[in-house]
Amino acid sequence: MPDFWKRIGAPLVFGALTLLAVITMVSDRGGRDASERGEDVSWWQGVLLDVASPIQKAVAAPADGARRVWRDYLALLDVRDDNSRLKSRVAELEEENLQYREALVTSGHLQRIAEMRDEFETPMLASEVVGLDVSPWFRSVLVDRGSGHGVQAGNPVITSEGVVGLVTATSGGAARTMLLLDRQSAVDGIVQRSRARGIVRGRGTADLEFEFVVRGGDVVVGDVVITSGLAGVYPKGLRIGEVEAVPDPGGRLIQTALLRPAVDFGRLEQVFLMLRRGPTMDLLYGEGGAREMAGGRPAPAPGSAAPPAAPRGPAS
Amino acid sequence: MRRAAVLLGFGLVLLWVQGGLATFLPPHFCPDLGLLLVISLGLWWRGLTSGLCMAAGLGYAADALSGSLLGLHALLRLVAFSGSRLASRQLNLRGPLPLAVFAACASVAYGLAAVGLTHFFSPSSPPSGDAGFRGLVDALVQALVTAVAAPAVSAAVQRVFAWAGEDEAARRPLLLEPRGPLA
Repeated sequence: MPDFWKRIGAPLVFGALTLLAVITMVSDRGGRDASERGEDVSWWQGVLLDVASPIQKAVAAPADGARRVWRDYLALLDVRDDNSRLKSRVAELEEENLQYREALVTSGHLQRIAEMRDEFETPMLASEVVGLDVSPWFRSVLVDRGSGHGVQAGNPVITSEGVVGLVTATSGGAARTMLLLDRQSAVDGIVQRSRARGIVRGRGTADLEFEFVVRGGDVVVGDVVITSGLAGVYPKGLRIGEVEAVPDPGGRLIQTALLRPAVDFGRLEQVFLMLRRGPTMDLLYGEGGAREMAGGRPAPAPGSAAPPAAPRGPAS
Repeated sequence: MRRAAVLLGFGLVLLWVQGGLATFLPPHFCPDLGLLLVISLGLWWRGLTSGLCMAAGLGYAADALSGSLLGLHALLRLVAFSGSRLASRQLNLRGPLPLAVFAACASVAYGLAAVGLTHFFSPSSPPSGDAGFRGLVDALVQALVTAVAAPAVSAAVQRVFAWAGEDEAARRPLLLEPRGPLA
């Protein structure tokens, strides 16, 4: 009998562990779907994110330290020259700014511009990137703001340069963000110049691909691609990237251009989480998400760029 | 038990190193140290059942620090451990060159399986021909880098074994199975 158990012990353990891994994958997939619908992730997924957050912070600490030393000391050798140059530039710009303000007030446009800004403003939350994906096959980052700060799965993540990605899972104090570069990422985009529409997909590499219909698709190298706002995730007009190559379609109806992302993903440190979910997503997944956005959102964290009003931006 | 705890700790340190490297190097120029540890375990670890549990544990740790589906790395590392264990019964993989070649093959298979399983569980449109080709090139680069690091990780695992006070009896001897009747 002990011989029998000895013989089948290892296969049994292998089978059990394999089954467990498959179950956790299916369960995690279900959890992500629920998360996209605005429901909370299961407790164990939240715990896992909370545990991973400080570990990833520790993982990134030495690299951050080295980068900080470089930024604070070595790269500041020319700071005196830069400083005097920038001071004179600031003085120039302040004077220029004053002239513009005067002109706007005079023409009566200032009030209208202020109203437009209020209309399109989306509450945003500044957040630090605390960890990179340790697997080369996936492109995600962990940020240090979570559902406790009002972040939900489906919230867009941006920087001043352009689109970073999308929140896919949240816990109380952390959120996992799938980058545009991930193979599973797809964003509806338009060429700013010609308004040609297509889909921007991640390739798992440093660049993106832009799929568009050849007929009528006027896309040339150097064109800027922005979000179209039609897929229901990102607001319209966020910068995605710049076309760097347009290979010959070779008789195909769908052509693929290569894009250089607007965001430098290699130097991602601070990002902004847009505390909004597109109305199309709420329509797709029912009213639950919308109700949660309107009524169930926690108080904004310090650093929130605007009051947590329901989003009034352009339909996306 | 002590050796298992020390090796699990070593696995977490390797993940920490890999995460640190990822901030400086492009993703596919970072060796998959976690995979190498599991392969080394398959070659050197004596207990099959405890080895399987450790491989799964290290896989779950990688899942927690990655954007993959939870359980994906656990499943693939179980397979990698079993594969290296089975392969080492037919081939002597303990030299640097055979180990590097095996690690390169395992790395390519691992990458393809990771991408395939992710598409299976989270269906999305398949990559275009060009993107698929670039993905394959990236997988080959990753395999090359992983192969270069393989002998060093294997040597480090043996050092950890020695440091954890392991006696010779606990280390798995090299037992190559004959393919046919011996003359």
